[in-house]
Amino acid sequence: MLSGRTAIAGIGATEFSKKSGRSELRLAAEAVLSALDDAGLSPADVDGMVTYSQDSNQEIAVARETGIGDLTFFSRVEYGGGAACGTVAHAAMAVATGMARNVVCYRAFNERSGRRFGQPNSRLTGEPTSQGLEMSWHVPFGLMTPAAWVAMFARRYMHRYNATSEDFGRVAVAMRRHAATNPAAWFHQRPITLEEHQASRWIVEPLHLLDCCQESDGAVALVVTSAERARDLRRSPAVITAAAQGSGAGQMMMTSYYRDDMSGLPEMSLVGRQLWEMSGLSPRDIQTAILYDHFTPFVLAQLEELGFCGRGEAPELLKDGGIELDGRLPVNPHGGQLGEAYIHGMNGIAEAVRQIRGTAANQLPAVAHVLVTAGTGVPTSGLILSAG
Amino acid sequence: MTGDPMTDGPMTDGPMTDEELHELADKQAALGEVRGVPAPDPVNIPMIRHWLAAMGDQNPAYLDKGVAPPAMAQVWTMQGPRATAKDRSPVDDMMAALNAGGYTGVVATNCEQTYHRYARLGERLTPATRFSGLAGPKRTALGVGFFATWNVTWYAEDDEPVAEMLFRVLKFRPPARKTTKDPYPLQPAINQDTAFFWEGVKEGELRIQSCADCGLLRHPPGPLCPHCRSTGRSHTVVSGRGTLYSYVVHHHPPVPGRETPFVVGVVELPEGVRIVGNVVDCPPEEVRIGMSLRVTYRRMDDELVLPMWTPGEP
Amino acid sequence: MTERGPVETGAVLPELSIDLTPTVVVSTALATRDFTPVHHDTQLARAQGSKDIFLNILTTMGLVERYVTDWAGPEAVIKSINVKLGVPAYAGDRLSFDGTVVSLEDGQVTVEIRGKVSLGDHATGTVTLTVPKEDEPC
Repeated sequence: MLSGRTAIAGIGATEFSKKSGRSELRLAAEAVLSALDDAGLSPADVDGMVTYSQDSNQEIAVARETGIGDLTFFSRVEYGGGAACGTVAHAAMAVATGMARNVVCYRAFNERSGRRFGQPNSRLTGEPTSQGLEMSWHVPFGLMTPAAWVAMFARRYMHRYNATSEDFGRVAVAMRRHAATNPAAWFHQRPITLEEHQASRWIVEPLHLLDCCQESDGAVALVVTSAERARDLRRSPAVITAAAQGSGAGQMMMTSYYRDDMSGLPEMSLVGRQLWEMSGLSPRDIQTAILYDHFTPFVLAQLEELGFCGRGEAPELLKDGGIELDGRLPVNPHGGQLGEAYIHGMNGIAEAVRQIRGTAANQLPAVAHVLVTAGTGVPTSGLILSAG
Repeated sequence: MTGDPMTDGPMTDGPMTDEELHELADKQAALGEVRGVPAPDPVNIPMIRHWLAAMGDQNPAYLDKGVAPPAMAQVWTMQGPRATAKDRSPVDDMMAALNAGGYTGVVATNCEQTYHRYARLGERLTPATRFSGLAGPKRTALGVGFFATWNVTWYAEDDEPVAEMLFRVLKFRPPARKTTKDPYPLQPAINQDTAFFWEGVKEGELRIQSCADCGLLRHPPGPLCPHCRSTGRSHTVVSGRGTLYSYVVHHHPPVPGRETPFVVGVVELPEGVRIVGNVVDCPPEEVRIGMSLRVTYRRMDDELVLPMWTPGEP
Repeated sequence: MTERGPVETGAVLPELSIDLTPTVVVSTALATRDFTPVHHDTQLARAQGSKDIFLNILTTMGLVERYVTDWAGPEAVIKSINVKLGVPAYAGDRLSFDGTVVSLEDGQVTVEIRGKVSLGDHATGTVTLTVPKEDEPC
């Protein structure tokens, strides 16, 4: 079994900005070196690398830049931000099976100053690949931005559970409140009110501007090694108690409109079931959850799919600050991607490590276990990290 | 009728059948040779010199002997750039009827000139045209068309024929007329598994894949039946009725080829599958989950038709 | 005008290549009094689906005549030109003629000619002519 055998021993990041002014490869190299320094390892110790399929920096290029030598394991994880925790899962498997000793996971991009994921891209249907064909049932109708794909689910969720835009807004308000006291967050000291959320312009109804996460330039890297080795390194280990990937029946990329009632995220339910089973834990054992928040409505669906509340009960959980720092389940103490930065979920894993170490800007008391999720609406992944 | 003075002749009566075109051809041929207007200028040195220079022809014989290059025969009787009195010939009605019948394309296929003698300086030539036949309709590389043939004879002042010409054109129906619409920027990728759907919407049919073996309907379509593994694919043309299952109103950012706001919905068909399409003919604020819809087809450019959904009776 | 070899069946005419500059296309159209816009107005020609302005038929006939008389000499008399028209000869292309004497009967010479452009045959056909007796091979 994988549980408990590996740990995250180092985390590193660049600053989070709207215009890094540097190449994506340089961002990747900076984050990787920073994570190695954090762990107290040298580039020569690294023999494995994992990143997202979407990352434009090949492992070999990052290795060359940082002085990493022989690699015995390298892997890419598919499906956009759904890859985030998957990179750690792959690294953990490699370490647990002896394929590699120290594996670096990274994500680096100029998503705001370079190619922006939220902009329409008519090349989505340029080729009759399986993905080009899948997109071809949606893009010709102008349904071609992540906000629009998510909005289709959000409308159905509202219809099914009588949820409102204010329910989604409470997520945005909580995230910005957390970011306000996180100096690394782009929205540091810039909280919003629910009224401001409601007054922000429509992007794709039922999503307001403030339901959509920001866009960022930056990079985050993590070092995965054996739990045993991690205990001998510089920082307290964040033990990987569970790691899982999940893709559901009838799965598509952001447009799984054809399989069920469209008010949930079956692939996240699948990830959750594995996490609970692998860790032997249950939702009440989690002190804080890092939930992927590129768009607010899917935070509600995740709370339900992971068992933090019943189906349709997320709006109730959100009321009265339920996911805020002093709430029933603090979610994204760093401010999430809505508040801190959009680094495709990788910054959330780093926050989970800080919460385990006890070094977070908005540190919660007595954190033993943190659940982390990756991109929603796509095949996804998750982790439970634990102190020890 | 508008009494438009620019339209006259058979074409005002609408397109002719193939048979009627042949009848008209016979009638025009029966007119025999019809004299045209004499050349505006007699055979002259300046036009010959101009013609030789343009052709790069350095043959001194013509000006030395006071004759015109024979290939100039038709040049003498060409209409000028501001021709007013149209020099009617038996060919004109035939061409007008072919145009009216949709055979608007024209390409010359044969030009055969016979020179009885070279025209001399000072002679004024007069053309005479005889319609000599219509063949078709025939399938050609350019499209279906008719070959029309006529003969022109150029006479000197004493009715002596100087030159003759057989001229044949293909009047063809151009393939599907290109509109000036810009190509729609959001084209679907299409392959052999999905082409039937897009061909269907072009013909006003909403085709949903059905398994030839177990009958399972599925959308979006694919190469196999996920239920019984059959590769035997068929499709059913569905009723075109549906119910709105979910929808969004897109405001921002701008989408190429679209004006915001626009509505995209997931439509549930009574046949049991869902399909995505735009909801049109309905203000966005009146769109509701559960509303009844029926399919409509919108042409986006010369090639692409998209199925869309308009409010309909349940 | 070039020196030609003996007029006999199988004799090959020297090639003639003409660069179809816009000036050639327009000046010949006007010299043949053909004012149809597709022979002088590039924009309009393109709007009607053509690649560019192209040679008019009266010019094709004139160039065929020139091609054969360039070879046959000033004493030749052209009796007929029969041309089958093929692909358009667009401005910017090059029109190359080749020809062969295919028969010689009672002083009447028949020459098969072909005018090629990059798209294929623009004109193919026959020209009949007479040449003075003294010009025939002895």
